[in-house]
Amino acid sequence: MMTVSGGLGLGMQACRAQRKIPGSIVGASAAIGHMLRDKAFEAPTVFEEKQVVIIGGGISGLSAAMHLSKAGVDDLVLLELEAYTGGNAASGSNEYSKFPYGAHYVPIPNNELKDYTAFLEEAGVITGYENDLPVYNELYLCHDPEDRLYINGKWQEGIVPNYGLGQDARQQFARFFEKMAALRLAKGQDGKDAFAIPIDTSSSDPVYTGLDTITFKQWLEQESFTAKELLWYANYCTLDDFGTTIELISAWAGIHYFAARKGKAANAHYDDVLTWEEGNGFLAAQLRNRTQAEIRTNSLVISIEEMNGKVELSYFDVQQQKVLGLRCDQCIVAAPQFINARMLSRSEPERVGLVKSHMEYSPWIVANLKVKAGLEERNGVDLSWDNVLYEGNGLGYVDAGHQKISLSQPVKNLTYYKPLKGSSNAEARKAALAKQHQEWVAEVLSDLVKVHPNLEQQLLQVDIALWGHAMIQPLPGWIWGETRKKLQQSIGDTIHFAHTDIAGISIFEEAFYQGLNAAKQVKRFL
Amino acid sequence: MDSTQKQVVRTQWLLLFSVLIIAVCGLIYELIAGTLASYVLGDSITQFSLIIGTYMFSMGIGSFLSKYFNKDLLTWFVQVELLVGLIGGISAPLLFVLFPVIDGFQFLLLFLVVIIGTLVGIEIPLLLKILKDKLSFNELVSRVFTFDYIGALLASIVFPLLFVPHLGLIRTSLFFGIINVVVSIILCYYFQKQIKRVALLKFSAFLVLIGQVLAFAFADEIMDYGDELSYQDKVVFAKSTPYQRIVLTKNREELRLFLNSNLQFSSRDEYRYHEALVHPAMSNVKQVKNVLVLGGGDGLAVREILKYPGVENIHLVDLDPEMTRLFSSHKMLAGLNENSLKQPKVTIENKDAFIWLKESRTVYDCVIIDFPDPSSFGLGKLYSNTFYNLLKRVLHPLSVIVIQSTSPLVAPKSFWCVNKTLQACGFRTLPYHNFVPSFGEWGYIMASQQAPLNVPDTFAVPVRYISTPVFLQMMTFSNDMLPKDTLEINKLNNQVLVKYFEQEWRHYTDR
Repeated sequence: MMTVSGGLGLGMQACRAQRKIPGSIVGASAAIGHMLRDKAFEAPTVFEEKQVVIIGGGISGLSAAMHLSKAGVDDLVLLELEAYTGGNAASGSNEYSKFPYGAHYVPIPNNELKDYTAFLEEAGVITGYENDLPVYNELYLCHDPEDRLYINGKWQEGIVPNYGLGQDARQQFARFFEKMAALRLAKGQDGKDAFAIPIDTSSSDPVYTGLDTITFKQWLEQESFTAKELLWYANYCTLDDFGTTIELISAWAGIHYFAARKGKAANAHYDDVLTWEEGNGFLAAQLRNRTQAEIRTNSLVISIEEMNGKVELSYFDVQQQKVLGLRCDQCIVAAPQFINARMLSRSEPERVGLVKSHMEYSPWIVANLKVKAGLEERNGVDLSWDNVLYEGNGLGYVDAGHQKISLSQPVKNLTYYKPLKGSSNAEARKAALAKQHQEWVAEVLSDLVKVHPNLEQQLLQVDIALWGHAMIQPLPGWIWGETRKKLQQSIGDTIHFAHTDIAGISIFEEAFYQGLNAAKQVKRFL
Repeated sequence: MDSTQKQVVRTQWLLLFSVLIIAVCGLIYELIAGTLASYVLGDSITQFSLIIGTYMFSMGIGSFLSKYFNKDLLTWFVQVELLVGLIGGISAPLLFVLFPVIDGFQFLLLFLVVIIGTLVGIEIPLLLKILKDKLSFNELVSRVFTFDYIGALLASIVFPLLFVPHLGLIRTSLFFGIINVVVSIILCYYFQKQIKRVALLKFSAFLVLIGQVLAFAFADEIMDYGDELSYQDKVVFAKSTPYQRIVLTKNREELRLFLNSNLQFSSRDEYRYHEALVHPAMSNVKQVKNVLVLGGGDGLAVREILKYPGVENIHLVDLDPEMTRLFSSHKMLAGLNENSLKQPKVTIENKDAFIWLKESRTVYDCVIIDFPDPSSFGLGKLYSNTFYNLLKRVLHPLSVIVIQSTSPLVAPKSFWCVNKTLQACGFRTLPYHNFVPSFGEWGYIMASQQAPLNVPDTFAVPVRYISTPVFLQMMTFSNDMLPKDTLEINKLNNQVLVKYFEQEWRHYTDR
């Protein structure tokens, strides 16, 4: 094949040589973050007085800020390391559409999450109720066609492998989904759901929590799930939500992915999703619009200490290049624990080791591909919202403009997701930081060119977001182990924690409730 | 081995290599003819049988004729090779371009197959004669036919697996033409001394080569040209805009407009469509002052609306500025819509209807929706419950809307799905249909939130077609226009309409 097309040499396709595709690497500022680890700062001389300080402007921090504002706390500052708030719900935009740089959808919520559904109603995502069931704004429910999988030379509808599968694999899938449907309804001895959201509201019945001692792969083997398509699918799902393969992830967390979604709606199904051009950036903005907190971005918190019933903290203002001090009555620490441990290292030096030995975060890249019209397509289902390659190198891509209602889309923004592999997360992170833009482009291309042979010619720009610590990995023992509980504990009555890493898994609802619960704690002590 | 011996061996292999090329190319041309015939004429079994038979038979003719070639064998051989390259190479593009314009397509196809077959049929015996003094009979027959059959196998493998999927028919045909020509050029140079009039031959070979390389480069344009010819009449205007391809054709009696190759109207009967679309809705509003037209950039619906003197404002929202520009300025087209788009009452906005609706605050008494059929997911959104709910923002309770809703005969599910979706959004509806010769049986759905939808006593404006008794007929649906299954509501997150539409029209055109 190569010789034939190579032999053409007729000027038409002469531009085959790797063209330099414009774009840049964006995303979490590793350099600033690493200053906390590597640099010695002087102490601040003066301390500004505030009632409450929130550290971290991800979803947990924004949720805490919104709930405090609602509770009438207005002497409130939020410090964020990056230049923007929203954390993993980061997004970008160009002249054609907005697009996500991170988390990009939420499933329809479980109905008992009243605080969350109330927020969604305020945000216009729920437009009303019919027979007590929420009616979702259909502009935000994922439009059809929702997803497709490229398998056996064809795009099939849906991402559960189906096209060209053998009888045995089909039966295993049927059994798998039956099993998950049963686990979705399962309750423990304590009457609680075996798999719930937030995770901490799940049953602590050892029948189920015992699953946290083995890997998902081991569980699948125990249950005789052996079909390679099924193992691929399970692995795809755990990578997609947790950046973790079935060989590593806890069986409890793996099952949670399939068994915790129980939402009911007037106009949607429990496995439907809500999504926006800018992904969860939409929800982050909705949270931000509902708080009066003063948001200080580019602020790297250096240390937090409890001091005579108050909290003193110092932070480095990246723009002014100055160390500043804040003194407050209550503090919510809504940053990931590997950062928190450094900030708290003076009073709690053992944290650094605890976090290091018990917590793993997976590195990711998210690449936004700006693509001219005329992308070549393989047979089967048309371009969908989520487009996945069976046994692909990444998790496939999302058409960011899918939720647009406009007919004219001359250029598409395709958002490609890939959790990074390596002998360890640290190794993968190191390798990722060393990689050049063109190397990332080549890596993304090599995956997607199978389904879009002319992708390279149609590419206008590629921007890569590199997430060194994208999300906590729920490895066996993390969710139901002691360390997570220990790290959730407030320090005294003044320092409270809110982050999805101590919630157990990195999903929007967990972040939302982490913020809400921390806000409640603060209210209690104010 | 001395050098002359080496020379002889090399010559032999070169000639045997040309046998391989001839065999590959010959079979490829045959396959191209068969595939093309199946594409455009259908019935692949007949087409392939006919072509294979004709090709083999023509090779026989060639073999028979070969006895008349006894002198200057090499010269003849190269000339034939070049001719095969020329005719075989241009066969696909030629057939593509000529298919729409000639009557005896099948005849032309077989004629080309006969010529190519005959030429290829001459070549093998010619080669046998050239090589007969250089090899023993035994070796000669064995080698020549071995290469011939290997070539045939090669061709039949690479054609379906490599060439058709990656190059398409036109480029494949040209590609092999080019190979033939290149081989003849190589032969010209190699046998400089033995070939007569070698300069002339070389010159013509290069000429053919350049021609075919150019054609290869512009294969897409050739394809487009063929497309244009496939419209029955003369193309008087053609333009690709970012949204669609607009093609206007004309013959002595009529103008036809095609968007993305779908007929939008014929000037001969468009009045039947536009009168049926506009007047029932307009007659159902007490006092029509403000009218909104969504789609309908051709200005023909607007022409009908302008017949009502009480109308004060007509707002036309069409995505494609090229459409509204064309229908405002093109003499024949502006004549057809009676300059409707230039009337002072008419305001034109070139925007996405959905986005325009989200931003709009004006209220209209009557809304005429003339979108293209829901043939893509993008268009399907314009027929969704979300769209109709949004539409209510520009309506008062007694406003009347009407939606062109594809053919209830060809696509009953699609038609009644639009009806059901409107009802689910709280509209009462009145579906009706009429016969438009150039379209077939066509459907419309009139709807309002609270206005009772009646059969008008009279149509108070000058019309050619519609009347009260005619409208009464339009409201009756025969059984074959009713849906057989329960239908779903068309939503953004299920897009059932696009699926119904695709199924029904594919089924219809496959018949």
